[in-house]
Amino acid sequence: MDTAILATPRPFIAATEVWLPSGDRLVHGGGDYADLTAFEAASIRQSFARGEGLPGKAWDEERPVVLKSFDGSYFLRAEAAREAGLTAAVALPVFDGKKLLAVLVVLCAGDETATGAIEVWRGQDGLLMLADGYYGAARQFEWVSQHTHFPKGQGLPGGVWAARAPILMRDLGSGYSFIRSESAGAAGLSTGLGLPVPLPGDDSCVVALLSAAGTPIAHRFEIWDARAARVGAAGGAELTDGICDRDGPLWDEDNPPRVQVWQGPIGQVLGTGLPVVLSARPGLAAGYNLMVALPIHRDGELSHIVAWYI
Amino acid sequence: MQKLVVIGAGMASGRMLEHLFEAAPGEFDVTLFNAEPRGNYNRIMLSPVLSGEKSYDEIVTHDADWYARHGVHCRFGERVTAIDRARKVVLGASGDEVPYDKLVIATGSNPFIVPLPGHDLDGVVAYRDLDDTNRMIAAAGPGRRAVVIGGGLLGLEAAAGLRLRGMEVTVVHLPGHLMERQLDPAAGYLLRRALGERGIEVLCGANSKEIVGQDGKVAALRLEDGTEIACDILVMAVGIRPAAALGREAGLTTGRAIAVDATMTTSDPDVLALGECVEFEGQLFGLVAPLYDQAKVAAQTLLGQSAAFVPREVSTKLKVTGCDLFSAGDFAEGEGREDIVFRDPARGVYKRLVLKDDRIIGAVMYGDTADGNWFYGLMKDGADVSAMRETLIFGPGFQGGAPADPMAAVAALPDEAEICGCNGVSKGMIVKAIEGGAHTLDAIKICTKASGSCGGCSGLVEQVLALTLGGEFVKPAVKPVCGCTDLTHEELRRLIRSKSLKSMPEVMQELGWKTPDGCPSCRPALNFYLLVEWPLEYRDDLQSRFVNERNHGNIQKDGTYSVMPRMFGGMTNADELRAIADAADKYGAAVKVTGGQRIDLLGIRKEDLPSIWADLGAAGMVSGHAYTKGLRTVKTCVGTDWCRFGTQDSTGLGIRLEKRLWGSWTPHKFKLAVTGCPRNCAEATCKDLGVVCVDSGYEIGVGGAAGIELKATEPLAKVATEAEVIDITVAFLQLYREGANYLDRPHKWIAKTGGLDWIRERVVDDPDSRRALIERFDISQSVYQKDPWADHVATRAALYTPLADLTKEAAE
Repeated sequence: MDTAILATPRPFIAATEVWLPSGDRLVHGGGDYADLTAFEAASIRQSFARGEGLPGKAWDEERPVVLKSFDGSYFLRAEAAREAGLTAAVALPVFDGKKLLAVLVVLCAGDETATGAIEVWRGQDGLLMLADGYYGAARQFEWVSQHTHFPKGQGLPGGVWAARAPILMRDLGSGYSFIRSESAGAAGLSTGLGLPVPLPGDDSCVVALLSAAGTPIAHRFEIWDARAARVGAAGGAELTDGICDRDGPLWDEDNPPRVQVWQGPIGQVLGTGLPVVLSARPGLAAGYNLMVALPIHRDGELSHIVAWYI
Repeated sequence: MQKLVVIGAGMASGRMLEHLFEAAPGEFDVTLFNAEPRGNYNRIMLSPVLSGEKSYDEIVTHDADWYARHGVHCRFGERVTAIDRARKVVLGASGDEVPYDKLVIATGSNPFIVPLPGHDLDGVVAYRDLDDTNRMIAAAGPGRRAVVIGGGLLGLEAAAGLRLRGMEVTVVHLPGHLMERQLDPAAGYLLRRALGERGIEVLCGANSKEIVGQDGKVAALRLEDGTEIACDILVMAVGIRPAAALGREAGLTTGRAIAVDATMTTSDPDVLALGECVEFEGQLFGLVAPLYDQAKVAAQTLLGQSAAFVPREVSTKLKVTGCDLFSAGDFAEGEGREDIVFRDPARGVYKRLVLKDDRIIGAVMYGDTADGNWFYGLMKDGADVSAMRETLIFGPGFQGGAPADPMAAVAALPDEAEICGCNGVSKGMIVKAIEGGAHTLDAIKICTKASGSCGGCSGLVEQVLALTLGGEFVKPAVKPVCGCTDLTHEELRRLIRSKSLKSMPEVMQELGWKTPDGCPSCRPALNFYLLVEWPLEYRDDLQSRFVNERNHGNIQKDGTYSVMPRMFGGMTNADELRAIADAADKYGAAVKVTGGQRIDLLGIRKEDLPSIWADLGAAGMVSGHAYTKGLRTVKTCVGTDWCRFGTQDSTGLGIRLEKRLWGSWTPHKFKLAVTGCPRNCAEATCKDLGVVCVDSGYEIGVGGAAGIELKATEPLAKVATEAEVIDITVAFLQLYREGANYLDRPHKWIAKTGGLDWIRERVVDDPDSRRALIERFDISQSVYQKDPWADHVATRAALYTPLADLTKEAAE
C-alpha cells in the first residue's frame, strides 16, 4: 500500500487519554494529544471525583458517555478544549465485573468534513437501541442510526452482542455488506469495529467505531483474543482478526500471531489489564505513530483486546 | 521446458504450483484453466466474506502479479471441455487446444443439490464459490428471510453470515443434531443453543419435501410434516460431489471420483489429479489439510521425486465468531472405546476425548478449544496417554512427570475462581466458610449459597471441602441415578423443572453429565422425566427405552415377542376373538389367557410384529402396553350387570378408567382393578390402585403389590360417585408420574413421601390441586394416548425387517 497517501487524511479522533482510579479520584494515566500541547498540559493537571467531569460521569453512571458539545456542560476542561478546537468527546469505562479499572476518553475536533462514528448501543426489550453516538458530519447516517435497532445476531452491533466478542467489518458502504450500508456508503464509512463494553449488571452494551477513509478513526485495527478457552493455561493472546492500510490483512487462520504477557504493547495490556495509549514510540506496528489498545474484561478474565493505530 | 496444464485454480492446485515454483523455478511452462473467472482464493474464508467480516481482496491467495511473476498462462473463466489423452491435448471452451507433457486435474467438487420439487427456482442457491456468496449477499437485507438446508459446517456458516447481514434465518437439518459428522449430540446441543442466541432458528430432524415458488422465484420451503417456512432465498448446503466427469470422460479410472495412487498419479502416468475430485484407496477428501498434503506430493511427483500421500486425521473448526468448536477424529460408539468427558455448565464448556488402546482417537470440544491442537497432536502421533489419563482432559497445563491427582485441577484454581456460577461464589469464599466452621455441603450452602441453586457445582464444592479439610471431610452417601452423574433422582427431576431443561443433551450438558451420552440406567429415567415434565416440547426418544418398549412387545427367552392387545376392563367380543384366533393361526402363536384379563399371543417373530399389529388394528384393537412402564390393565369383576352381590357397575367403571388412562407412561408399571363388592373378585386390594365398590359408593386404595413384595392397598379416599373415582385416580396417577423416581412402584413412592397424608392432601382434599393434576395429565394424554402399534406400522415397519437372512445365506 502507498503510505504517501496515508499521511494525508486527518484523523477523526484528535486526542485519546486514559484515566485511572486512584483512591476516590480518577487521575491521568497517559494519552496522546498530537500537537494540542496546551490541552495536554491542562489534562495532565486534572483529576476527577466520581461523577465529576466526563470521566467521572462514566464512572458514576457506569456507562459510556457521549458529549457532543462542551459549552455549558459538565466538561471541566471546556475552555482548554475550545482553544484546542475540540468539540466532542466519548468516555468508555473499562470494568472488570463491578470494579472500574479505567476510563478511556477520545476527543474529536469536529467540523463539516470530519466523518466517522462512535456509537453506543444498549439492550432494551431484547433489541439493541442507539443510546448515543457521535457522528461528526455524517448527519444522515446519524439519523438512520437513531431509527435503527438490532436484534441479537444482526448487523455489527447485534453480531457483537450475540458473539460476546469484538467484530471487525469491512466495506461498510459497498453493496449490502452492512445493514445501514446505503447511508454508510454515502457518509464514506468503510470499516467498522464493534466491541462489547461489559458494565456492572449489563451485558448488552456495544460500542461501534465506524471509520471513513477521508477522516479515519484508524489505519489499522486489531482484535486479540485472550480468553483461556482460546489460548489455554499458558496465557497470552492471539490476533484473531485485523486489517491494516499498510500491511493488508493481519489474520492467519492456521497460525494466528500470538503474544505473551508483557511482550510488546499488547502484552503490556495483558499484564496490566488496563488500556494504553502509546505514541511516537519505536516498536509500534507498521511504523504507526499512535496505538490505542482497549482491554475487555468479561467473565472474570481479560477476554479480548482491541487496538487501533494511526 | 515441460508443458504443464492444470485444470482448476483452487486451493489444492494453487499450493501445488507454489511448491513447484519454489523447488524448480522455470522448469514448467504452466497453463492454468479455471471455470471461475478468477484465480486462486482461500475458499474456506468465503463465510467471513459472506458475513462482512472479511473482504474478497483479503482472501485472494494468488493475484495477477503472482501468476505473471511465474509465467502462468491464465485461462480463467474458460471451462475445459475435453481431454484427448492420445494426443496429449486439453480442449478449452474457446475451442483452443492446449498441449501438455503433464496434466494435473484439480476440478474440485460440485455442490449437491437435493432434487426437491422446485430446486431450480430462482433464489435457490448452492454455497460453493464467490459467485454463490455474492448471490447470497445480493439477496440479503434487513427483514428478508433465508432458509438454509443443511446444518453442517458450511450451512451453519452461511446461516450465521446471512443473519449478520440482517436476515431472518432458519436452518433445516435432517439428522437429529447439528454437524452430526463432526459433533456428538452434546456438542451439537451447545452449538444449537449458541445459534439460537444469535436469532437463528434451527430445526433438526426436519425433512424437506418441496420448495414452493411464486412467479418462478422461491417463496417457501415445505417440510414433510406440512410446515411451510417462507423465504426470499434458499441455500442448499447439504454436501459436495467430486467433479470427476472430465476425468471419467477422458477414460481415466474413476469410482466416486478420479482414482489416484499415493503419488497422485491417475491411471494415466502423465495425468495427475488432486483435491476434492480424487479418490485415494476409496477415500474422498473435503477438508483442506489433506489437500495440501496431496499438493506437496503432486509437486514432488512432477519433479520426479519420490513421495507418497498418506491420509491423516483432520480437524474441524467452525468460523462463526463467538462459537468455539473443535472436532477431530472418530467419536462414534465402538467396541473397546472409552470416553473422558468434562463439562462446565456455567461456562457452557463440553470436552470429550475418545480413547482406544490408551490412544486418543477422537476429540470434540465446545466452548473451550484451547487444548484442541494439543489433543489433535497426540491423536496424530498415536501417543500413549495412559500415564496422564487421569488429568488428560485438563490439557497440557496439568501434565507433569508423574500422574497427578485429579483433584489437582481444583487445587490449582485460584481463590477468586468462581465455583458456583449461579450465586457468584468463588473458591476463596468457600474456603473461608470452611475455615469458619462450615464442614458439610449443606453448611456451605447456607453460608455462601454455593450449590444452592442448580446444584451443578456440588461436586466441586465437595472437592474444595475435601481439599481444605483433608480426611476430616466425609462425602455424604447419596445414591446417584447412576455413574454418569452425582445427582439423585430427586435432584435430577428438580433441576429439569427449575432449569427448564427440555432435551437429553441439554440435561447432560447443563447438569454436568460425566459421560457423553448417558447409559442404559440414566437414559430411560431421563427420557421419562422429560416427557412427563414437557409433554408438548419433548420428543419421546425410542432409543432411550428398554427393548420391550422400543419394540412394543415383551421379548421372550427365545427372542420372539408376545403380542397382547388391549381389552378394556377385561371385556371382549366375538369379532375381537375371531381376529385374535386368525392372528394366532397366521403367525403360529401360542395363546394364553393372562391374570390381567387379556389374551396373550406368544411366539411372534420380530419381523412379523408390524403385520400382526396391522391385522389386530384392522379389528379395532390397540396395544395392551403389556410391556411398558405405563398403564397396564384395569381388572374388573362383572359387577351389577351380572353378579348377585355386585353393588356398582364395576365393569363399566373399569372400562371408563382404562379408556381415560391408557397410553400414559409412568415410573414403573401401573395396574388397576375395580371390584364390585368387598368379596374382591377382581383382587383390587393388591393393585397399585384398586377401587372397591360398596353400597354407599367407592373405596379407593393405593400402593398395593402382589409381586416379589406382597402388600395390601392403603385407603386413600371414599367417594360417592364414579366421576370422583375417575378424577382422584387420574390425579393420583399424575402425582405419581410427577413425583416418583423412575422404576419406583407406587408403594415405594408412597413410603418415600412419608405416608399417604401428603398425597391425599393433593389429590383428594384440595380440589384446585386435583384439577391442576388432571389438566396436566390430559395435556400429556393429548400427545401420548395413541396406539404405538398403528404408529409403528405406519412409520417404522421397515425397521422390523431383518438386515439379512443369514440362515439362508449359509444354506446357499
